[in-house]
Amino acid sequence: MSAPVSPVGTGIGLRQPHYREVFERRPALAFLEVHSENFFLEGGASMHALERARAAYPISLHGVGLSLGSADRLAEEHLARLKRLVDRVEPALVSEHLCWGAVGGVHFNDLLPLPHTGEALALLADRVDHVQGVLKRRLLVENLSAYVQCRDSEMTETAFLAELARRTGCGLLLDLNNLYVNAINFGFDASEQLDALDGASIGQIHLAGHSVVDDCLVDTHGAVVCDPVWQLYAQACRRFGPKPTLIEWDTDLPALDVLLQQAAQASDIADREAVHA
Amino acid sequence: MPDLLDFQVDFGAALRDRAQTPALARRLAGDPGVVDGRMAIYRANSVAAADKALSAAYPVIRQVVGAEFFHGLAREYQRGTPSTSGDLTVFGASFDDFLAAFEHTRPMPYLPELARLEWAAHVAYGAADAPDWDVAALAAIPPERQDAIRFQWSPGLAVVRSTFPVVRIWTIHQPGFDGEFEVDWSQAETALVARDGFAVTVTGCPPAEACFIEASLRGATLAAAASDTLERHPDFDLGALLARALATRLVCGATT
Repeated sequence: MSAPVSPVGTGIGLRQPHYREVFERRPALAFLEVHSENFFLEGGASMHALERARAAYPISLHGVGLSLGSADRLAEEHLARLKRLVDRVEPALVSEHLCWGAVGGVHFNDLLPLPHTGEALALLADRVDHVQGVLKRRLLVENLSAYVQCRDSEMTETAFLAELARRTGCGLLLDLNNLYVNAINFGFDASEQLDALDGASIGQIHLAGHSVVDDCLVDTHGAVVCDPVWQLYAQACRRFGPKPTLIEWDTDLPALDVLLQQAAQASDIADREAVHA
Repeated sequence: MPDLLDFQVDFGAALRDRAQTPALARRLAGDPGVVDGRMAIYRANSVAAADKALSAAYPVIRQVVGAEFFHGLAREYQRGTPSTSGDLTVFGASFDDFLAAFEHTRPMPYLPELARLEWAAHVAYGAADAPDWDVAALAAIPPERQDAIRFQWSPGLAVVRSTFPVVRIWTIHQPGFDGEFEVDWSQAETALVARDGFAVTVTGCPPAEACFIEASLRGATLAAAASDTLERHPDFDLGALLARALATRLVCGATT
């Protein structure tokens, strides 16, 4: 399965309020990431902006709506539109989530948790095989932030993803904020889970912020990366070496400089840890 | 039913109706009270997604009714017309019908008509870019075949009829508008929604021109659309409309 060479270094999410500034300043970034579904359009201003971005940077297409884990059906029409976008943009990376979002024809447009069972693993492996076959390239699958846990789960999420990668050849998009959010919400050791992963399958790392609601960390992508997540990132860099790393920010979008500062901080950590790797 | 599907059906039911949470809670780890609170986060996420999608498609209605009321509209609309796609840009196509029927917006009959205008603008925003077309090709069509011309209008072009001044309402709510805010509510306006390059334009469209463009969009030939329009609007100036449509690239192709 061929794919363009992965961009080494740090990127940011490209969001509409920053289009003009990014195109004018051309900040030194390894790649730009966009949500695939925002570009399921025939033409117009958004597609033009994506084409401009593509001319200047490698692009990562991050999907939020394919619902890989929906038990009743995979949305083939959604996959067909993703395929058209992939053909048009020729992205460096294509990713989706280890989740489901639709059942019985209703889409909740959210990233909902799966039980980590053998049944779910068999379904996900079939789906990932199919998606990679249609897209003719490797898919990265991201670990999820969650607020509830399924009683039926037979393995940890990281074990589930490792087995999914082994069966399908897909890569992992390791979201360290999600790992940290779950560790706090469900009371496990994020650092231990991180150590259990195989670095070869990790194709990208996501860093983001979260908010706190009562006793629960909520993955809002609306804040700076917190210290424990930076520490996990340093651990990941030490253990797995440099990986394409994204600063992900979706709500309460700050000035572009805030994102660039976070990206610079990630690059500093990666450089520093590379010496010790 | 396979266990995974069963789980997702229960999860979906609890998302749509809090009273259904106990059936799901049995399948989730942790105290039912905590699970109830956590499910509220998912419920809020799903409504927030609907609000964000509708806010993108209906920014003027959101300004007119206010963000808080709009959030309530998004929740009610989603309840009755849930999303069926992982692509939220297609969510909200029937918002006009909802606004016409919902008891708290029924007293504002201009809202559904404004919604139709905004949805047409939303569709035009992402429509294909108009193909390059040399207008000279039109002049090359021999006179005896001109009656049979069918125009290709630029992608996203739409006529939106209204009994309210929707063009005026739309215009004064655009970012950066700094003119007078008065609205003459006695004016019924028909809107022409189009793309000028990447920008979406909304302009008032005289009834005769609206009639011709609608007929032409339905696939009528030049002769049929023109005679149909002249019958209803004897003062229709076809030459003026075509000159403008060609100059501004509203028309981007012609077949015979």
